[in-house]
Amino acid sequence: MIAKKVLLVGNFGVGKTSLIRRFVTNEFSEDYISTIGVRISKKEVQYNEQIVKLLIWDVAGTSGNEKIPKAYFLGANAAMYVFDLSREETYIALEENLKMVKELSGLQNITLIGNKKDLLTSEELIAVKNKITVPIDLITSAKDDENVEDAFTLLTAESLK
Amino acid sequence: MIPAKIEDVFIQITTDINGVILSIDAGKFAEKEFTLHQSVYRSCPFLEGTLEALPYNEPFLIEAMIIHSNSIEYNVDVEIFKREESISVLIHNRTNVYKYVDQLNQKRNDIFFIKREIAEKNKELDRLRKIADKANEEKSRFLAMISHEIRNPLNVILGYSEMIAEENADVQKYINSLLDAGHNLKVIVEDILDLSRIEAGKLELVSEQISITKIVETCIANFYHQQKTKEVKLEYFISEKVPTFILGDSVRITQVLSNLMSNAIKFTKKGIVKIDVEAVSETAENAVLKFVISDTGRGMTNDQVAKIFEEYQQTEINDNRVFGGAGLGLAIVKRLVHAMNGVILVESKIDKGTRFSIEISFKKVVNHTLPQKQKNVEVNFNSLKGRRILVADDDVLNQTIVAHILNKEKTVTTIVNDGLEALDKISKESFDVILLDINMPNMTGEDLMRQRDLFDKLNIDTPFLALTANTSSKDVQRYLSLGFSGIISKPYTATEFVEKIKKVLP
Repeated sequence: MIAKKVLLVGNFGVGKTSLIRRFVTNEFSEDYISTIGVRISKKEVQYNEQIVKLLIWDVAGTSGNEKIPKAYFLGANAAMYVFDLSREETYIALEENLKMVKELSGLQNITLIGNKKDLLTSEELIAVKNKITVPIDLITSAKDDENVEDAFTLLTAESLK
Repeated sequence: MIPAKIEDVFIQITTDINGVILSIDAGKFAEKEFTLHQSVYRSCPFLEGTLEALPYNEPFLIEAMIIHSNSIEYNVDVEIFKREESISVLIHNRTNVYKYVDQLNQKRNDIFFIKREIAEKNKELDRLRKIADKANEEKSRFLAMISHEIRNPLNVILGYSEMIAEENADVQKYINSLLDAGHNLKVIVEDILDLSRIEAGKLELVSEQISITKIVETCIANFYHQQKTKEVKLEYFISEKVPTFILGDSVRITQVLSNLMSNAIKFTKKGIVKIDVEAVSETAENAVLKFVISDTGRGMTNDQVAKIFEEYQQTEINDNRVFGGAGLGLAIVKRLVHAMNGVILVESKIDKGTRFSIEISFKKVVNHTLPQKQKNVEVNFNSLKGRRILVADDDVLNQTIVAHILNKEKTVTTIVNDGLEALDKISKESFDVILLDINMPNMTGEDLMRQRDLFDKLNIDTPFLALTANTSSKDVQRYLSLGFSGIISKPYTATEFVEKIKKVLP
C-alpha cells in the first residue's frame, strides 16, 4: 500500500474540515470551529485496483493574502484548493491564490473545489460560475454529501500522477 | 541535568530514515506515545510523507502540528534534522501558546461571519426599504393624480355655482355643466372606492336572478343616448344559446360592460362599437358566457396593451385630459372580472380597433338594477378693464368659467385650447398677462415656458400665471423656476382669481 500526502487549503470557513469529516467519517456539523495549525486524517481508498493511504492535511484557513507555511507542503503529492461558492471573497482572487499554492508546493496541478453548493439556487450557481475564470474541478456540498467522494477521488488521482 | 519543568515540555527522539524510533534522547513530553523500535508515525502522523522528502543536513521546522496523548490534544512545534543514517526529531509542547492563538482565531472568524450576516441583513433591509419607498411613491403618485382629477371637476362645480349665484341667464346651461362635472367627480370617487374595496378584498358580489340581454340592451341604450352626435354605430348581438336568466351581480356586470363600452366609444371616432354575448359551454347548472366588446377605433400598440390593465393607465398621455377619468376604469374591470372568477383578454391593432373578451361562468337561474345614464353637455365659453389677457386651457368648462370672470372685469380676453395655440398667439401678439393651464395636450404649460426665447420679443415683460390643480410645494417651486410669476390654484373663487391677476400686473 502506498501512502500519499494531500493537503486541503483555502480561506477560513470554506468547509475544508467539513469535507474531510464527510469523506473520512461521513459526518457533518453546522457548527463552525476554526482549525488551528494542521489536523491530519487518514483514509484508505481504492483507485484503479490500487489501495492508497491518503494522509489528508487539513490546513488552517487563511484570510486575504495570508500565506500558508511552505513547510506544510514538504512531501505533498497533491493539494485541493477549496472555496465557498456563497462567499465571493473566497473566490475573487482564485487565479492569484492557485499560483501561490503552486509556487509553495511545487505541484503543477491543484484540484479546485467549490463547496457549499447547498447554499445557492441553480441561478446563483450559474452566476458564480460565470464570475470564475479558472476551471473548477468539482462543485460539492459537504452538508448534502454531494460530490465529496468524487472530489477526493480526483485528489487521489492527482496524487498518483 | 535538565529541570523537570523543562523536561515536561519537550521530547527529542532519533529515528531511522523510515521513521522507526531508534532512541529517546531527552525530555519527557508525551513520552508514553513514543516506544523504541516502533514507528514515529503512530503518534506523529504529520511526519509520514514528510520525513522522506526532507532535505539532508538542514534544520527544518514545522509549526502548529497536533499530537494526542492520554486522550488530550497537544499543539506542538517540531524541529527536524535529517542526516544520512538517522533523523533527529525535537517536539515542543506549545499548547499554551496555541490555546490563545486558537481563541483569537476563532473570535476573528466568528466576527467575520457575524459581520457578513449583518451585511446580508442590511442588504435585505435595503431591499425592503426600496419596496417601501416604491409603495410610498405609488401612494404619492396616486394622491397627486387623484387630487388633480378631483380638483378639476370641483373647480367647475365651484365656478358655475358662483356664476349661478350671480345671474339668472343661462342658468339651465350652467346647471347642466354642474351636473356634468359632478357626475365626473362621482365616477372618479366611485372608481377610487371600488379599487380600494377590491384591493382590500372587501368587494361583495351578489347572486341574484339577472337577464344578460336586459343588461346589454340597457347598456347600449345608455350609450346610444350619449352617442347620437357621433358617427359611431352601437350594435349588440346576443346568441340564442345564452340563458334567459342566470345568477349574477347585475351592477358589477353592468359596470364592466359600461367601462369597456365607454372606452370603446371614447377612442372610436367613426365606425362600430359592438357587444357580442355567446354561451361558450353549458351544463345543467352552469353556463360559461363570453362577452366581446369590440370597436373600430384607434387601437393600441403591444406595449400599450401590456399595460392597459394597470392603474392610471391611459394609452396617450393626454387621454385623461381629453376624455376625463383617472385611468382606473380598466384596472377595476380586470379586478371585477377576476372577482367573478372570469378571465379578460384584449387584442388590438393600431387604427383597426380593439377587442376585449371576457369569459365568466354563471350559475343558471334568476333581478337587477341599471346604472344611471350619463349626460353629455356642450358648454359655451366666453371672458381688469381693457387688459389684454390670453388664457390657454384645454378644458372647456374651465375656459367658460375663466371667460365669465374676465368678461365681468371687461378684459380683452383671448382663449386658446392648448400650449401650441398659445405659442402661436404669443409669437404674434403682446398681452398684459398670460394664464397657462399646465396639463394641456400638444404642448403643456411647462413645455411652453421652456420655449420662452421664441416669444420674448412681444411678451418679454408679460407675467405668466400657472392655472393648475398641481399645488405641491415641489410643483410650485418648479413653476416659479420656469418663469411663472405665480400660480392660480384650482379650485379658485372669482375674487381670488382676479386678485391673483391684479397682483402680477405692473
